[in-house]
Amino acid sequence: MTEQSVSWALQNRALGLGVVVLCFVLFYFVGWWSQRKTTDVSDLYVAGRTIGSVTNGLGMASTWASLATFLGVTALILNLQVPFVFLWIQWILSIPLITLLYGTSLRRMQAYTPASFIRERYGKTATVIVASWMVLIMLMYSLGQMIGLAKAFEMLFGFPYVPALFVGGIIIVGYVTIGGMYGASYNAAFQMIIMTLAFVVPLGAIMKQMGSTGWWFPPLAYGDMVPSMLELVPTFFNTNYSFKWYFALIPAFTLGPIGLPHLAMRVFTAPSLKSARWAVVWFSGFLGVLFSATYTMGFAGNFFAATTGTIIAKGDADKITLILNVFYNPEWVTAIVIAGAVAAGLSTLNGNLLAIGALTAQDILGVFKPDMEDKDRMKIGYVVLFIAGILSVVLAYQPPQFLVTSILWAFGICASAVTPMILLGVWWKEANKLAGIISSLVGGFLFIIVSPYVLPKIVLGAGVTANLGMSGALFTVPLAFAIFIFLSLAFNRIPALANFNPSDADKNLVDRIHGWPDFDSSRYTGNGWAALIGIVCISISIWGLMPW
Amino acid sequence: MNGKNLYKKELFLTIFFTIVLMLMGHSASIFVAFPALQKGTMWGFPIYYIIPILLGWFGVTIVSWFMAYYCNKLDDELDSYMSSYKANNAAAATKEEK
Repeated sequence: MTEQSVSWALQNRALGLGVVVLCFVLFYFVGWWSQRKTTDVSDLYVAGRTIGSVTNGLGMASTWASLATFLGVTALILNLQVPFVFLWIQWILSIPLITLLYGTSLRRMQAYTPASFIRERYGKTATVIVASWMVLIMLMYSLGQMIGLAKAFEMLFGFPYVPALFVGGIIIVGYVTIGGMYGASYNAAFQMIIMTLAFVVPLGAIMKQMGSTGWWFPPLAYGDMVPSMLELVPTFFNTNYSFKWYFALIPAFTLGPIGLPHLAMRVFTAPSLKSARWAVVWFSGFLGVLFSATYTMGFAGNFFAATTGTIIAKGDADKITLILNVFYNPEWVTAIVIAGAVAAGLSTLNGNLLAIGALTAQDILGVFKPDMEDKDRMKIGYVVLFIAGILSVVLAYQPPQFLVTSILWAFGICASAVTPMILLGVWWKEANKLAGIISSLVGGFLFIIVSPYVLPKIVLGAGVTANLGMSGALFTVPLAFAIFIFLSLAFNRIPALANFNPSDADKNLVDRIHGWPDFDSSRYTGNGWAALIGIVCISISIWGLMPW
Repeated sequence: MNGKNLYKKELFLTIFFTIVLMLMGHSASIFVAFPALQKGTMWGFPIYYIIPILLGWFGVTIVSWFMAYYCNKLDDELDSYMSSYKANNAAAATKEEK
């Protein structure tokens, strides 16, 4: 068998254009309608903290489910098969862990982004460093979405990439800027419904034509196809990798998303802590449908390739969702699927750009201009939002190589440079400012060094394990935690470094964000436990250094 | 409930739900660590494939429900602790004024 070019493009472009234009009209309307509610920075970044639990749950799911859900995941399941399903499953932990470990605490202190907490807890230098890491990660994230959306427009309308990027990009940036977080929240909820329907219903039709009796519930009812699959692709269910590979999912992909600001900001939009927690239940329920259907689509892609004898070209692997729809379903269904993919990209991009706006205008600028008027801050926020959008369009024109590496890799930076600062800052009063800064810089840069993209000669692991940042993260994430813990314990006892010790106000802050009205020095100070965690982290880090 | 017990409860709930959520999201690792568990099928799927999918969806949703319920209850207890703390402070201030 040789690689074949299979059809994935719409023949009837007017149909595709009509469906996408209709979606954009609706998104713009929601953005315009929401914009009227935006009167201050709290409205702009956290929708005035008024988003109810169902809408918020849908919005959380929509923000997390990016364009990759429609395009990238299925390609990776096509290539990596079941291990990638297992990799994807654990991503549902992102928002529940954020909410449990720090989201509600930061919501209590009325934070706009996690960097707002960093500023109060660790001071200005740490804020600039952490917010800069976050902006870099958000930029990589938004760039990926922008490139993906331009490619979707390219597929849909047959425009060359560059006009598709500029026309589509400017339309998208306009819609994001107009709506602020109100628009993002309501649009995201609406987009989650669109993307779930556009993904699951056509998948049912595909499964029916593949001969599955479980077409009525695509996410879970395709067990009757398994015997044929095992005959055609006997390796499909192989777990392939060692326990170490599966363990490395934790530092790379569970701890990474915990530090993503655009996810945390969704928790901050809740009207109360209770509402935020109930939103998590809705989030898990809604996202589970879409994620499970994604695994089915990956399964169906492998099944399709095997039954039709098609070897999908490498460049077409991420279009398997479109290929299956073009092959099995009428054209209007494919047009709706593309609209779903566009909705998935937009909701994530919207969250990324709002996070960049809040991090820059609120957190970084707040360090240099702490007394700026609320109105001026909001105006600057709109400008930054717009510039960030335009920047991601311009970068997507000829993307710098280091920025187009997989966003999955960028999660490793987040886990190494951002997550320890947040988690230890919230749960350990002894967390030292200088130790945090050193841990963030060492963790972040070491992760970049041991990954294959910047210095290809110094790489931990090989192949997909290194490319996705898993081998790097198993070394650097626990190391960042250990550095932070042990340096804190040391620095807090060196009189010359007393300036960096946690002050009474910092310790008070920790009690306050946990909901305590009084200060008690015995809370959140377990140095013995911290040292034990540090020792465990060092052991894991050494394990990560050993040959893969 | 006094402050010490509330603090212990907060730590317990956080650690407990973190561990249970991690088990729900990473159950595939358990099947890889103990290959003997990989035998058997459910609904036509290999058990080590379908169980992680089910736990990663319904498992996480159910745990999130319990998390919301118990953490919200803890919040109520914290609120009543806060009210009694404020009331005690106010009473002490009044006594001092007298």
